[in-house]
Amino acid sequence: MKDSCDRKEGRRRKSVAIVQRIALSAAFITLLLFFAGAAARAATPSPAASASPMTQATAVPTPQSTTAPTPQSTTAPTPTAAAAPSPKASLPPPRTVLYLNAKKIDFYYDRFLIEADGNIRLRTSDGFTVSGDAFSMDLKLNRFVVAGHVTLHDATGTVSGAAISDFLNFRRIYFVPVTTEPDRWTFLDGDLAHPVKGRVMPDDAFYFPIISQHPSITAGGAVIDTLTYVRFINSHTYLAGAPIPLGTDVVNFSSNQYFAQNTLSGATVDLTWTLAGSPNALTALHLRYDPTYKTYLSVEQHFVGDHDYAVFSVNPATRAEKWWNLLLYEKLGSRFQIQSFTQYYTQQNWLSEPRAAQQTTFINATYAFPHSYAQATSQLTNYNTLGPGSLEEPNSIAGNLSHPSQVQITATSFQNKIADLPLFEQIYEGYGFNHDTVGGLQYLNGFAPYWPPHFPPIPVPGLQAYGALCPHPPSTTYTYYCPVYTTIWNTVLGATLFTPALKLNSPPSPYETYYFNAAFTKQYQWNSLPHWISTDSTNFTISRQFTHALHTYLGYQIQNVGDHYINGGYLPCEPVNTYFCPLSFTSFRGVSTLRTTSFGFNDTPNPEFNFSLLVRHHVDFPIPVPGVFGLPPNNILGQPLYSWYLGEPPYDATGDVRFVIFPHALADISRTFYWYGNPYRTTFWQQNFVIQILPI
Amino acid sequence: MRRGALSIAVAALALILLAAASSVVVSGQLLAYQDGYVFFTTGDGFRVARDIVIRDAKTGGPTAIHPAPRVWARATFDSTGTVTELDLSRTPLPPEGSFADVSHFAVALSTPVPNPDLLKAVETPEPGSTVASIVQFSGKPVLVTFIVQVPPNTPWTASVYITNDVSGWNAQAIPMDRVDALHYQITRRYNSGTIFRYLYDRGTFQSQEVAQNGLQRAPRQLIVTNADVRVIRDTVYAWQDSIPGGVNQIQPQIMPTPYNPAPFPNLPTCLPAPQPPGTKRPPPPPGCPP
Repeated sequence: MKDSCDRKEGRRRKSVAIVQRIALSAAFITLLLFFAGAAARAATPSPAASASPMTQATAVPTPQSTTAPTPQSTTAPTPTAAAAPSPKASLPPPRTVLYLNAKKIDFYYDRFLIEADGNIRLRTSDGFTVSGDAFSMDLKLNRFVVAGHVTLHDATGTVSGAAISDFLNFRRIYFVPVTTEPDRWTFLDGDLAHPVKGRVMPDDAFYFPIISQHPSITAGGAVIDTLTYVRFINSHTYLAGAPIPLGTDVVNFSSNQYFAQNTLSGATVDLTWTLAGSPNALTALHLRYDPTYKTYLSVEQHFVGDHDYAVFSVNPATRAEKWWNLLLYEKLGSRFQIQSFTQYYTQQNWLSEPRAAQQTTFINATYAFPHSYAQATSQLTNYNTLGPGSLEEPNSIAGNLSHPSQVQITATSFQNKIADLPLFEQIYEGYGFNHDTVGGLQYLNGFAPYWPPHFPPIPVPGLQAYGALCPHPPSTTYTYYCPVYTTIWNTVLGATLFTPALKLNSPPSPYETYYFNAAFTKQYQWNSLPHWISTDSTNFTISRQFTHALHTYLGYQIQNVGDHYINGGYLPCEPVNTYFCPLSFTSFRGVSTLRTTSFGFNDTPNPEFNFSLLVRHHVDFPIPVPGVFGLPPNNILGQPLYSWYLGEPPYDATGDVRFVIFPHALADISRTFYWYGNPYRTTFWQQNFVIQILPI
Repeated sequence: MRRGALSIAVAALALILLAAASSVVVSGQLLAYQDGYVFFTTGDGFRVARDIVIRDAKTGGPTAIHPAPRVWARATFDSTGTVTELDLSRTPLPPEGSFADVSHFAVALSTPVPNPDLLKAVETPEPGSTVASIVQFSGKPVLVTFIVQVPPNTPWTASVYITNDVSGWNAQAIPMDRVDALHYQITRRYNSGTIFRYLYDRGTFQSQEVAQNGLQRAPRQLIVTNADVRVIRDTVYAWQDSIPGGVNQIQPQIMPTPYNPAPFPNLPTCLPAPQPPGTKRPPPPPGCPP
């Protein structure tokens, strides 16, 4: 009878929680729809808003080409359509597709150059074909040259010549025909029937780049979609000089940054083969290696628009443990955006029925106001999506009953200057909840079938069972906790105050000037259980530039984190499972203070070389003890994701050297030493060594 | 006697000048060689002598190189503007002569007419502007210094990078250096005329900058104009992964507490006791490794 009551009580609590969650989800979706509707209304284009910053910027320059661009120039000067900016000049360049065949086509990845020689056959979507001896195209400049025994053919006829150059962005074609004698013709706006004869051409109209490096890809044909991608046909790439056949290979060089979004986790090695592409899509196969899964294949698919993108991947695709990732982003109008990331984990052989499956979804929606913005974030997780019976023996491999969810809505102001003071402020406030954060297993403490002697109690009750002993303790040996706070609500209020740069003196030389800057952040978080958190962070630096190349600064930071419980909370340390209490933990009641002194030094004698040094000393209360508090996760370089955490080594020093190793590549060598000046460590120092090759 | 010697000297000088005037040499890259003309990448076509001599530019002897696009050549013009000799090389030749001196030899059916596309006006950018209304590019190297002010909540050890379309939006394309609590800086050398789009990030796309209104921002555009040094000052208002007030940051199973709520029972069971330097460590409790 008592068991039955407990079960009913548990079910009631559970169903209440589910109703609450559904109601909140519905409210959240309604809010998103409201924002979307408002955004759609706001999206009605106005004359001022219709020109994007990108379009405006590309329309502004009207350069004169006086010298040929040097090989280092990523994008070189080009002539424009008219001296005075015209409405036509502000339009984006028209899309053109070039179909190129040649005896040999080379692609140089670091310079976005296509160089072809021998039996050139070029067909364009603009309606003409060209043949010749040599072809050169700068994909970023969006222009090409065909030279040597050139034949230009279109619907109006055929003309022979020495060279032709097409400046696609500006709709200008420069042609050197050879009829009875050579001449100079310019075709305006794609009108091949009416050449402007004798017009002076830009000096670099027929420029061939000087190339000294080995090609990245060699092919027999190419389809070039201007400003977006190239598809090489019958191609091969090179690994240590040896050709590797690829068949079709796509290189995307679009300036749309959404193509670079990816959903793959970090790997030690990643060799990418882009199988297919279009102006709006990209399909890639990845051969990867990492220490956990060794060598495996992954697949990633991109769909990209001007205001949206979708990325889907399976990683690793050839291992039993698979992560199916979906990243979505949409910007609706000028004020609203929504993005989501869903990760679905399965354990299955190829595409057989999964033995385990879990899902996590993050949703983030932002609405911009004139001087602030509101952001809603949510995380929904299911630790088992296989259905009834899947967690019972003999089926159970992974997963549990947990399905935590979180929602947070935050309003944040812009950074505002305070009167005429060199001070800026920013304030924010937020509301949200965490539901079932600790997990569904905690409910089992309240169910008799899970009581001793068959099961031990759930070891860490978590905040949701904070202060709540089970009403009917099943054991006198163990302490059982039952959930009380299944949903923890929170209210957040915070403010930041900072000064970007204050001159401390006014000497005649700028290299003798000292600058002071500081930032202070205070945040309160009140939770619906009797618990609140206060966080404040203060940091300031004094900096000086000694020469053009040499910068130094001295900084000091203090961070206080108070984890306050109105009842109970952090108890004085008692040697329960160990035989001593660590220093300073006897007085620790949940309020920590972390102090860091930093000295930074940076020397950049020229852009090709850089040396920097950062030395830090931490004094923390309580004195860090390894294993007591969780360490932060590492970033893809193996470094801690965030710098402030209890347990940080008391001393560290990081030296970093960067220098040019190739004309378009930089080596970055970084080494960090950690010194543990505390007696709890068995190792007294550690190091971290990172080498990266970066493109210039 | 003296007058005779002077006449001979004048005549010899005249002969030397005449000989010099009759032969002009320029070097450059070939665009085409066809139909009795040789074309350079300037677009100029010059008439070729029937008995043109083709040599190797390095050795001066016979060459297997054929005049073709991309080949470098040293051309010798006679007094009529006909090319009488081509010295060929597959690698760039040192600059010699000027095409301005031989442009009147170039053959063209039509009379040259000005090109309104090619502007003469030169303006410098307005203060605070990165782009002039009308800009001329020289292609010469320009030192460009990027100085970015980062949000006050940027972690002290954060690495800040510039990502750009030139690097295919590699999130770690250009690493920057911290110069104080709120600023990072890097100097790069770009040729005048370079144009690219860029954003700041902390090494990943998840940590890319967002606009002041919290939305993803359009990439900035840099157009490197003529100057010795350019300084670009930008402000990052927030990072995508650490927007102010983002209490529930994207981490699985986060709890609204900075620490474990019951830290002490979770202490590792075999921690060695703290000892003053130089003292012997006590024996471990039963069951713990030595």
